[in-house]
Amino acid sequence: MQTRVLFFGKLKELAGGSEQSIEISYGSTIAELFDRFARQTPALAPYRTSVVASRNQEFAHWTTVLEPGDEIAFLPPVSGG
Amino acid sequence: MALSAHDDLILLVRDPIAADALVKHVRHAEDGAVVTFDGCVRNQSHGRKTLYLEYEAYESMAFEKMREIAASLHTLFAIDSVAIVHRLGRLEIGETSVFIAVSAPHRKAAFEACRHAIDTLKKTVPIWKKEFFEDGAVWADGELPPVPAATPLAKPAS
Repeated sequence: MQTRVLFFGKLKELAGGSEQSIEISYGSTIAELFDRFARQTPALAPYRTSVVASRNQEFAHWTTVLEPGDEIAFLPPVSGG
Repeated sequence: MALSAHDDLILLVRDPIAADALVKHVRHAEDGAVVTFDGCVRNQSHGRKTLYLEYEAYESMAFEKMREIAASLHTLFAIDSVAIVHRLGRLEIGETSVFIAVSAPHRKAAFEACRHAIDTLKKTVPIWKKEFFEDGAVWADGELPPVPAATPLAKPAS
């Protein structure tokens, strides 16, 4: 299934863009999705422990299973204000 | 622009923040206090001279998280109304990046709610700041938002 993935801040620069669409098998988790990008772009790999994920604009655990049409984002530590 | 419950005002903007208008928005005849927080761009960071900042956001989620903060203030504190506005894009030294105004019948609730609002915003709203110096630029250190606990991978068939 196609999953829409958004990157922000430092991750956007490393991933080479703010938005990508990726084909991933049913039953995959957010962690597996990140690992796919990390294999494709090794510079992302070290950030696995210092980013959080969101699913459909809610913070989500890495073990969350993806569903068709999900919007996933990988978010570095936030620094608004 | 969007209005939510209790006549709160939550905005992400790219133009300078009109603080006076926000104070006016939250201030009603029932209120005895308005407390505001004006977050502004500092001229240095850890001793390095800052030239300017750039803010970016996951805009739809940031708006929703700001709306949640405003809603939570009404359940936690005896307040009247809330305005929370964050600016995005390039900001110069001295400009306002975030402005919060909280009105209440009595000052204690307004102070506490305003403090809670900015503290929570800095931890949970997906906005990022890039600091530009004379010799380069860095994404500012931030806080990792709390994430809900893992849910079971498979739900039992019903």
